[in-house]
Amino acid sequence: MSDAWIIVTEEKQVAALVAAAKGLGGKITAIAVGPRALADAAAIAGPDEVKWVDAKGIPVEAYAGSVARLVAAALPKVVVASGTVEGRVLAGATAARLGAAVIPGGLKLSALGDRTVVERADLDGRVVETIEAAGPVVTFYAGDDVASEGFAAVPVEPVGTDAAADILVEKTEPAAGAGAGINQAAVVVSVGRGLKKKDDLAIVHDLANALGAEIGCSMPVADDLGWVEKERYVGRSGQHIAPQLYIAIGIRGAPQHLEGIRDAKVVVGINNDPDAPIFKFADYGIVGDLYDVIPALQAALGK
Amino acid sequence: MKTVIVYKWARNAEDAVVRNDGTVDWRNAKMTAGEDDFAALEAAKAIAEGDELIGLTIGDGDASWALARGVLQTISVTDASNLTDNASTAAIIVAAMRQIGGVDAVVIGDSEEYAGVPVALAGQLGWPAIAHVSSASAVDGRVQVVRKQGSSEQTISIAAPAVIAVSAASPEKKTPGMKEQLAARKRPVTKLTLAAIGAASDDKVSSKGTRLPETAAARIFDGDPAAAAEQLVAALRGEGVL
Ligand SMILES: Cc1cc2nc3c(=O)[nH]c(=O)nc-3n(C[C@H](O)[C@H](O)[C@H](O)COP(=O)(O)OP(=O)(O)OC[C@H]3O[C@@H](n4cnc5c(N)ncnc54)[C@H](O)[C@@H]3O)c2cc1C
Repeated sequence: MSDAWIIVTEEKQVAALVAAAKGLGGKITAIAVGPRALADAAAIAGPDEVKWVDAKGIPVEAYAGSVARLVAAALPKVVVASGTVEGRVLAGATAARLGAAVIPGGLKLSALGDRTVVERADLDGRVVETIEAAGPVVTFYAGDDVASEGFAAVPVEPVGTDAAADILVEKTEPAAGAGAGINQAAVVVSVGRGLKKKDDLAIVHDLANALGAEIGCSMPVADDLGWVEKERYVGRSGQHIAPQLYIAIGIRGAPQHLEGIRDAKVVVGINNDPDAPIFKFADYGIVGDLYDVIPALQAALGK
Repeated sequence: MKTVIVYKWARNAEDAVVRNDGTVDWRNAKMTAGEDDFAALEAAKAIAEGDELIGLTIGDGDASWALARGVLQTISVTDASNLTDNASTAAIIVAAMRQIGGVDAVVIGDSEEYAGVPVALAGQLGWPAIAHVSSASAVDGRVQVVRKQGSSEQTISIAAPAVIAVSAASPEKKTPGMKEQLAARKRPVTKLTLAAIGAASDDKVSSKGTRLPETAAARIFDGDPAAAAEQLVAALRGEGVL
């Protein structure tokens, strides 16, 4: 049994962070850094108590020193942070204060005597590695979201901070392509370098029309080939989308591409290489030549 | 600003083969620079603005990577091994930075695989940090960075000294040619050992092995395209997504 702290910087994964920390069997304290609503969301996600640092609209990272001091004072064995860009910075500062090991990609936690066992995603999620630590550990959560089970709210205690670090947001603008239709679409038909020439986009468009879908693509199709508008490429540096259905046609499934569709509900891969990584990630797949499969899909949809 | 660019030279994880029993075969993995490192170097050059820019790498890899990309001097901690604990890796970088002294900004690739290194580094230095940055520059003695956050793009100003972790948006477009490679060979690499910088190379954690993730395998339809397409459409209708 080990006590844990969780560092919360966004509402999205808070229930999953608590659920992961529960694997340790000890007391769970959440520290929420942001607006009051974030602390309130943490309070109903199942921790034993919530501390709240009011970020007062300045970048959360500015409180790294304060969060580190608050968490380290409690000497927790384990600290779980969300894997967001801000959460990581707070966790890094906390780890330094605690003299803790830092393990990215945390999925599952448990206590083994006085040791901590962290199961973490490695090699872009292709394997799960089991890691044991004798001392304190800080990990960034990389597992799935879980639905909050409707816990009764625990009290939220506002906590004071040291002077925030000198970090200012000078300007916030919509990112390129943020308003593109692909972001709201329920169905996205996405095409990769498996397509042989630009003219062949016509069959992809036909399929998209039949499905009422928006067109997406892999980065090289937009960037190197220029066949599709840049606002439509999906992935780490492109759009992060959450459609009900994502159909990846002639897309290998590079880790940078998959980063953009983590929140898609159902993923279909169509590829002539049975070993293409897209099939490791997808829910459904058709192994075949896209020039045969697309017309076949059109026909099947018409039935 | 006096700037340090931290880069790594390691086995390419994309080349690693995962066997059916979940163990990993690294035999065919080529050594490569971190995929974000060239973008980090661009940012570091912009922050240094002609002031001193020093390369720093740990491990026995090719230290000339930065030298071939316009950095004039670099430091290599040659006997540091690849550690699982990102905080231990950061501690080695901190120890090497002490040899440099007077640094205003550290720029490092924000890789997914070692996502804890930049932030542990900032924590150990006691410096503020901004991660997932796409570009940076020096403005009035401060570091200005741009980063994408969800659907918006933020311009953030941070007082030096600071740690800036940079994510590349694409693969490196223009790699150094012969001329740059030759120039790199003439530039100095200062080789240091862990003992010389007072650092240790011990992991605080131990790996108990790897296994395959539990994710359900995709339902694959193959064979006749017409039959496969019909099965797929039926399955998607069953999921309620069509
Ligand atoms: C820093 C960085 C950031 C990046 N960010 C992104 C990003 O945001 N988004 C992104 O997409 N990529 C990104 N990439 C690029 C990424 O690594 C891959 O190179 C890219 O996604 C590959 O695109 P692809 O799958 O279309 O092409 P390929 O890798 O060439 O794959 C083509 C696929 O098509 C299949 N195929 C070929 N012919 C047929 C056929 N007739 N029928 C069916 N299938 C066929 C092949 O089997 C293969 O699997 C990034 C890379 C880096 C280094």
